[in-house]
Amino acid sequence: MGNLTLEGVHVLDFSWVGVGPVTTKYLADNGAEVIRVESQARPDVLRLAPPWKDAVPGINRSQFFASYNTSKKGILLDLSKPRAREIAIRLVEWADVVVESFTPKVMKGWGLAYEDLRQVKPDIIMLSTCLQGQTGPNALYPGFGQLMAALSGFYYISGYSEGSVCPPYGAYSDFVVPRFAASALLAALDYRRRTGNGQYIDISQFEAALHFLAPALIDYFATNRVLGPLGNRSDQYAPHGAYRCADESGRERWIALAVANDQEWQALLEVLGGKSQDSRLATMQQRLSQPELVDQTVSALVRNWRCAQAVEALQAAGVSAYAVQTCIDLHADPNLSAFDFWHWLDHKEMGPSPYEGLQHRLCRTPGELRSPAPVLGEHNDEVFRGLLGFSEQEMAELRRERVIF
Amino acid sequence: MGCSLLEGLCALDLTDEMGALCGKILSDLGTEVIRVEPPAGAPTRRIPPFLEDEPGPDRSLYFIAYEAGKKSVTANLNCPDGVDLVRRLAERADFLIESYPVGYLEERGLGYQEFARRNPRLVYTSITGFGDIGPAARYKARDIVLWAAGGAMSLIGEADKPPLALSLPQAGLHAGAEAAVASLLAHHARARDGLGQRVVVNAQACVVWTLMNEQAMPMMHGNEPIRQGVLFRALGSERKLVFRCADGHVSALLIGGPLAPTIRAFVQWMAERGFAADWMLTKRWEDWGPAYFMSGKGWEEARELDECAQRFFLTLTKRELYAEALKRRLLIAPVSTVADIAADEQLKARGFFVEVPDENSPQGRFIFPGPFARLSLTPIVPPRRPPRLGEHNREVYCGLLGLEPAALSRLYAQGAI
Repeated sequence: MGNLTLEGVHVLDFSWVGVGPVTTKYLADNGAEVIRVESQARPDVLRLAPPWKDAVPGINRSQFFASYNTSKKGILLDLSKPRAREIAIRLVEWADVVVESFTPKVMKGWGLAYEDLRQVKPDIIMLSTCLQGQTGPNALYPGFGQLMAALSGFYYISGYSEGSVCPPYGAYSDFVVPRFAASALLAALDYRRRTGNGQYIDISQFEAALHFLAPALIDYFATNRVLGPLGNRSDQYAPHGAYRCADESGRERWIALAVANDQEWQALLEVLGGKSQDSRLATMQQRLSQPELVDQTVSALVRNWRCAQAVEALQAAGVSAYAVQTCIDLHADPNLSAFDFWHWLDHKEMGPSPYEGLQHRLCRTPGELRSPAPVLGEHNDEVFRGLLGFSEQEMAELRRERVIF
Repeated sequence: MGCSLLEGLCALDLTDEMGALCGKILSDLGTEVIRVEPPAGAPTRRIPPFLEDEPGPDRSLYFIAYEAGKKSVTANLNCPDGVDLVRRLAERADFLIESYPVGYLEERGLGYQEFARRNPRLVYTSITGFGDIGPAARYKARDIVLWAAGGAMSLIGEADKPPLALSLPQAGLHAGAEAAVASLLAHHARARDGLGQRVVVNAQACVVWTLMNEQAMPMMHGNEPIRQGVLFRALGSERKLVFRCADGHVSALLIGGPLAPTIRAFVQWMAERGFAADWMLTKRWEDWGPAYFMSGKGWEEARELDECAQRFFLTLTKRELYAEALKRRLLIAPVSTVADIAADEQLKARGFFVEVPDENSPQGRFIFPGPFARLSLTPIVPPRRPPRLGEHNREVYCGLLGLEPAALSRLYAQGAI
């Protein structure tokens, strides 16, 4: 260590579930010291969700939670107790950044709103993120990324045809918003470094997510066109979709491919053995206007190919293609391995567990998964005794009052 | 003191659909972003759909959305004078962002090594499909192919139909936004020691990250998640996520355990309208946790609940359901179309959508999504219209690089710009 990008940056993290923790993970994996404040009474719901080690539920056994909380420290604090606020305020004095993701009234209720924090730490950066933002009539609407992905339009454009909805998997917006939140936070940290000024950041997950649908929104406002579910149809590529190859070991295999021009189409026919195909699909215009016929043709051509062989042959001929990978395939993917994507970290209770690594590489100052996720309250002692300097007696008293655990 | 976050920084943008969003985010945060286009126009100008379905260099909706606010210069990378211009720009820039096929810029003397010498401060971000070193590094990586390679496609769709992509390609957006985060991290590293570096973004890995940790299911639970329509796993069970309603669809999270209060409130509402079974009113929904479902209980109850809920939802519109969900704090949301979103009262109250004058729009103005973050001291730069091809050639080449107008004319004549 010693060369991590954000070494020396202190983050006090009250956030939970997806967007907040994934945002602070960027900072933690790059050297910032992130202390997650958790509640015993209302644990992060991800701690209660699978996948669990050996499929056995347990508060410290969720890989779902673990994956989003690498490189962080974890403490337990009951913020409903007045003395807990005193402790939180001392941690705010230590922090450069405070992050939270409750519905807007919660931090206020604890006396930990931005205006409060500013009193004790004028240059603090505070980032709040909730589903719909801190202001407006629906600010208090609670929920999760699954609902946000429906509300923000992703579900509607995922389906085979009008009336069919096959949502993108899981809490999709939770994996869109942190990229925006982390960008804003890093820029605010840079501004603070240059000017000494902190500030308050309000991220509405609704608003940030909509940037992934911007072309469709601009189109609607300009011409009233409503983008619907298109199956795998494209205005740009034909063929464009997933096609079933030969089954392998009793499992379905599918290949995804996209053809941009007539030259690629000819290459595809040559590779897959369809040279004698009729001329009805020779031009892009013809293929774009007859998507069913294109799909039938390609489906028939790949049906007996082994997927990996078809991918290799098509790519060698300049056609974009890859296997539709399942979760099992991902762990065997040579490109993800070459990128050093998978990491096995030895978690205190779960033992060696599979973590997703970083999606980018800083070649000179790479981030890293510095430690597995904390078990509940793992760093109580280190933080309360070590960082805040509580005596044995004070600790005992706070435990007795169930302020700390 | 500047009033925007990253004021004073300059980025060169040499991306395509695999990363235009990166420059857009940096530009929103106050960076001056110079979009370097081939004389025939950036590939993003040719991405359909087009405004009113009429192709044209300023009519791609993707271009309008993700190149807005940038400056445009042209440079022909297949001629030495064009390459030289980009090199000179990059000598002054803070960021260079590119998504050319691996090796393309190196072959033209515009690879990272070139700049490590000429401008050691430069953060040089390469957005790749499959990384820069693996066996597929040189694969052609179109969006749907990355969506498949990253595992997302295998989890979307119905079991008896093909795996699905969204109507609006998403992999390149994830990669572009990730590139903004990574470039800013490298900027922080530069603040410590004055040195830039190469940054590589892997779009395939960006897609894997969206899977909500399903990657660990096979190893930990011994099962392989596959696409199953509107079902998703929650707390040890499989729950239905989407229901039909009177005028479309709604999404509902009808799960218990830690969310017991919300399911109870929902059942109460169903009961008021005569759709709940008696047992649902007295059910201890706290029990509906992982252990309960994993021991085989609850599945029949879940089926019955979903049936009642479906009958109930069909009696109301998505607007009515959402309005009541807001009031009762239920986990129900409409499956919104862009028309619904355009009319959303919360977005209106926060003034999210912003008008930007542009004569290319049928109405003389576009309406853009507003800020992705609200910063109290240094707001995001308000949306600006997208640039015309080469609109800023004179400003950038003469103003920034100090070229004489005659030299500029010569470059035009040579086809270098």
